[in-house]
Amino acid sequence: MIFRKNKVCDVPGLTKNVGFWSNFTVRSTLLVVLSMMIVGLFIAGVQGYLVGLSSFLTNIDVIYNVYVSLRDLSWMPLVIISLPLFGVLLSWLVEKHSCNRRDMLVILMTSFTILMSLFLYPNALEGGQTFNIPGVLGLGLSFRVDMLGFTMLMITSVLWFLVMVYAHEYMLKERHSSRFFVFMGITYSSVLGTIMAGDLLTVFLFFEVMTFASYMLVVHGQKDDSYHAGYNYIFMGIIGGFAILIAVMLLYFTVGDLSFASAIHALNEAGNIKFVIIGLLIFGFGIKAGMAPVHVWLPRAHPVAPTPASALLSGIMIKLGAYGILRVATSYYFPQEGADFSAPVWLTSNAVGSSVIWLGIITMTIGVFFALQQSNIKRMLAYHSISQMGYIMMGIGVALYLGSYGAMGYAGALYHIINHALFKSLLFMVAGVVIYHTGEANMYKLGGLWKKLPLSATVCLIAALGISGIPLFNGFVSKTILHHGIVEAYEYHGQMSMVFAERIFIVISAGTVASFIKLFYFVFLRKPDQPHQLNPEYNNLDTAMAMVALLIIFIGLNPNFILNAFIIPQLNMMPYSPTFVDTYIVGMSVFTYDDLTIMIWIVLLGGLIFYFGNKFHLFHIKLPYWLNLEYLVFYPVNVLIRKSCHLMYGDQCKYNAVTLQKLALKDNKDIGFLDRFVLMASIFNNRYEKRIIKSDAFIYTIFITGILTFMLVMRLL
Amino acid sequence: MIIQIPVISLVFFLLMALIVPLFKRRNFAVTTTLGLIVLLIVWVLTVVLVRDVYLNGPFTYAFGNHESFIGLELLVNLFSAGFALFMLSLIIIIYVYSTSDATEGIAEKEYGRYYILLFILLFAMFGILYTNDLFNTYVFMEILSITTVSIISIKRKKENYTASFRYVMLNEVGSLSYLFGVALLFMVTGHTNIDLVAASIQSSFDDYTANIVTALGFMLTGIGIKAAIFPFHIWLPDAHSTAPTSSSAILSGLVVKLYILIMIKMLFRLFGFDIVSAMNIHIVLMMIGAFGMIMGSVFAIGQTDVKRMLGYSSIAQVGYIVLGISLGTVLGLQAAFFHVLSHGLMKAALFLSVGAVIYHKGVRKVKDFNGMASEMPVVMTVFGLAALGMIGIPLTSGFISKLNLGLASLDANQGYLIIIIIVSGLLNALYYLPILIAAFLKSNKPGDLGLKVEPIPRLMMVPIVVLGLLIVYFGLFPNMILSWFEEIAVVLL
Amino acid sequence: MSFLQTIIDHINYIGAVAIFVIGLHTVVTHSNLIKRIMGINIMGMAIFMFFVAIGSVTGGKPPIIDGDGGPYINPLPSVLILTGIVVVVSITVYSLSLVIRIYETYGTIDQNELLKRMQEEDES
Repeated sequence: MIFRKNKVCDVPGLTKNVGFWSNFTVRSTLLVVLSMMIVGLFIAGVQGYLVGLSSFLTNIDVIYNVYVSLRDLSWMPLVIISLPLFGVLLSWLVEKHSCNRRDMLVILMTSFTILMSLFLYPNALEGGQTFNIPGVLGLGLSFRVDMLGFTMLMITSVLWFLVMVYAHEYMLKERHSSRFFVFMGITYSSVLGTIMAGDLLTVFLFFEVMTFASYMLVVHGQKDDSYHAGYNYIFMGIIGGFAILIAVMLLYFTVGDLSFASAIHALNEAGNIKFVIIGLLIFGFGIKAGMAPVHVWLPRAHPVAPTPASALLSGIMIKLGAYGILRVATSYYFPQEGADFSAPVWLTSNAVGSSVIWLGIITMTIGVFFALQQSNIKRMLAYHSISQMGYIMMGIGVALYLGSYGAMGYAGALYHIINHALFKSLLFMVAGVVIYHTGEANMYKLGGLWKKLPLSATVCLIAALGISGIPLFNGFVSKTILHHGIVEAYEYHGQMSMVFAERIFIVISAGTVASFIKLFYFVFLRKPDQPHQLNPEYNNLDTAMAMVALLIIFIGLNPNFILNAFIIPQLNMMPYSPTFVDTYIVGMSVFTYDDLTIMIWIVLLGGLIFYFGNKFHLFHIKLPYWLNLEYLVFYPVNVLIRKSCHLMYGDQCKYNAVTLQKLALKDNKDIGFLDRFVLMASIFNNRYEKRIIKSDAFIYTIFITGILTFMLVMRLL
Repeated sequence: MIIQIPVISLVFFLLMALIVPLFKRRNFAVTTTLGLIVLLIVWVLTVVLVRDVYLNGPFTYAFGNHESFIGLELLVNLFSAGFALFMLSLIIIIYVYSTSDATEGIAEKEYGRYYILLFILLFAMFGILYTNDLFNTYVFMEILSITTVSIISIKRKKENYTASFRYVMLNEVGSLSYLFGVALLFMVTGHTNIDLVAASIQSSFDDYTANIVTALGFMLTGIGIKAAIFPFHIWLPDAHSTAPTSSSAILSGLVVKLYILIMIKMLFRLFGFDIVSAMNIHIVLMMIGAFGMIMGSVFAIGQTDVKRMLGYSSIAQVGYIVLGISLGTVLGLQAAFFHVLSHGLMKAALFLSVGAVIYHKGVRKVKDFNGMASEMPVVMTVFGLAALGMIGIPLTSGFISKLNLGLASLDANQGYLIIIIIVSGLLNALYYLPILIAAFLKSNKPGDLGLKVEPIPRLMMVPIVVLGLLIVYFGLFPNMILSWFEEIAVVLL
Repeated sequence: MSFLQTIIDHINYIGAVAIFVIGLHTVVTHSNLIKRIMGINIMGMAIFMFFVAIGSVTGGKPPIIDGDGGPYINPLPSVLILTGIVVVVSITVYSLSLVIRIYETYGTIDQNELLKRMQEEDES
């Protein structure tokens, strides 16, 4: 064991690449294999294999007792949430001695989290134990892990573990790695808290903590870019948080209870406020989920964060937005179990669902469209995150829209959450490896890397096949289920618009294929203009990536594994029609003729898009600035601000020529809305502050006359 | 014995103010220790008092055993004793801080004067809280004004003189306004005792409407000036930013709140909310509260001096309290009371941490805060906590205020007010976050984020940390204090 | 006619209010700091007059009980006003001393001039 001083951790470049047989890599690889084996055994056990092993284990009294006591531990969620925080504390103690030890501790803690979450399974199957902490935050917190929560918990903890393994190696090249791991830990525990929350207030609490903790990850680079992106990120986050807060208040006021249970009767009685509430919730969670048109922070924030953070931001954190929408919409807005499809209680969720479907469609279109234009790998991946979130949103929309037959959409959305977490974080990790080795993020300047980085090229291919939805890879499964969902949306309600939605879905999938052909071609296949010199050794980066790739293939080959272990138990707890679930989802096969043909069409179309795009340089189109979304949204505001400035100063704005010139510029690409507002406020301030101060007694006179007259008028009326 | 406690505390403060000059030649630490002992004694007494009131109900104390229509009367109930306890606790924290840092900008031989003024200030504050007499309130208000203005001008600097002159002018207009209102009420009722006046207002409102309504207008405006409610905020930013740090914390965190409490007393006990709402005064209050919440923040955005920014932020926060009061419901008052508490804590924490920065680094411009957290991690963490509380992020007491205020406005069928609350929170974010980002991330010296504690005196550090902890504590477990506030509010309505 | 009668009956109150308005006007319109203080004093005096006027009883005697009986004026307002005068005097003294300080540092007691000089100092 090499002892390093704290400074070594915080100063990049002092640590050399450690080879495969160095202690750290070996141990973490073993740990990865071990944890994955445990997870694998668990899933196999859940599916009814390995009965012998489990009965053998439960026959040993000690193990059985420990198992039972942990299973029945009602405050298990708190334990899980505090594990990463505990890790932060420990690593703070340890990091003085050794940087490696600290990282090992972080990795160990995340693997513990996986282990601990497994104990929640038996209760989750029955809908979860509720654990209340009354009095905290005034209204009290509560935790409950049902199968939806458990599914999210599993994917989060597994992925976080693997990314932490990856992060050890990656962060050796970054500054302030201690700070990074501290905030990573806080973010992790808030993510876990969001997932395990049993009411909206708890979700809100952890959501806010996550916003602030992950902000520190986004701006970790401490460059101008990251400050810009971070400013955007945190303000959108705060706005989203406040939207959720308003919804919390409205909901508490109308329903009187915030725990995730059916509240549709109370909401129906309250009238149209229910649409305001769900609108605010979709807006608030949608900001985190990267939903159009409030996605603007995402393509800025994800690329500037250090790769492990962007892998998790794209892999897990934006999913929490989708998870939030799914959670609130399918609890508050769903009737109790057993309501009929035609029952009027479904009308609300029906109305909400159709708008969510279209939000999803718009989101996926915008995402893919911009992704095709990007040259920066990470930026392109970020836009794809938006687009894939569109798929998930669409699935959620279908789940709401179809009422008791929406199980297909629900399953598709949840499945796509899992899959997207896997392949998007893998893609980000690959991008990170490429940047780690070459220092270049522009894909047009890269090329030929498959010889230098064979393993990265392979896993990148796997992930690309996954995201494109090629059969035998995981994306295919969820995309097919989602496709079934959108087709059903048409069949059950017979609305023509859903046919368009389905067509757009196909085209977008083709666009995704095209853009990943582009990525793989430019980064790995193409002959490079200038070959890069690098001689990578096997290290933790590869371990983590290989493991995620294995998971992708595993899911792709056994699509029903996830379905049976996680999704169907959850569907059975929902008020969905049990016959529908039994007929169409249990034991469903995605490898049917119809589905495969659609996939072939998609791939062919994608190839065509890539071919023509590359040939006619369509990937380099720059849209005129006035089509820029932010410009369109904020233009009226900008004009208003400019006008009011003229009002205050007339034409010769004497006070500060430079700031005013900035304000007066027509094409205001560099100066954002918030900056404008701040500038405006300070100009306003400079103009009027002194004047107001001077007229102290005058204001008094006006006010006293005003209030007396007011009361006189009131009296006379 | 317990019945004497309010008077004893008043006498203690006055005595302490008298004693300070006697120790002029001694080591200064003797004075500060003695002051602390006095504060602690009174604190213990007040705790006993609050417990007694909580168990046995309110009582009145008549000076010289005169009848209440002729004599002075102190009223001790949960409202007065409870807030006295809160203010005293906060002042003890600030006092401990001030023993190390009262001295910023004050000449050395004038340290003692600062403490004389501080104790007279306390005397006046307690007097205002306990008294049950309109004219007596006026007298205490004037004592408070004079001490406040002396504290502001104790630093012999140019801007202090102009700031305190501005303060005197406007506050004197306010006091006279208030006195005019008292005169009008006296004309109708012939009393100055609040209970008696209130009773005869209720019975004779229809006969003497003009007088009572004019009195309401004048008193409201007068107290509004003193409480720095929005259009009358003019004096506040300069006064609070130029005063010595610890007194800025007291002025912004407590004194302004004290006037708000007088306003509550006046609206709910003197006139009764029925009359106030019949005159639609609550709508006026709601409007100026909402307007202040927005405009205070807008002015704060434009500031370059951190302490001035905090002053403007106080104006916005006073708007929250006024908004809560204007709802006229138990929930609204409860939210207002809680915001009095939480804003007191947060603003004190902000002022003290900025004071520590000024003490240690000698800078007070926003742009000088770059990388401050690497030099003063603890102080800036508390600053950050309090600033997040101002924005309304959960886990801080500011969030609880926002939540309660929002629920209260929904409860009063004024749901649209939530939008104003939220917008104001966003505006707060616009000026607090850049400071935090600059302090924590824009380090001047790269690679220097070791966890070393800044070298400022312990006695300055401890209060700051305690305030930070209290902010988080009330953010996590507000229910006990909220139920107290509910009891107070129920009595008032 | 009754209107006029009302005015005459309440002339003491109306006079006090008029003086109050005069004082306020002085405070609002004048930029000379000393004149503003004078305005405040005038306002204060108006209120004191008002207070005393409330307590007066037509044909009342000073409230010194000498056995004659008869209507006395209400002594309470007068007592209160004594305190009030003391307070206003002290405030006046303090603000005058502040004016002296301001004059020493800025060399002017005109409010507009003062603001201009302060702004110049800020900018320099």
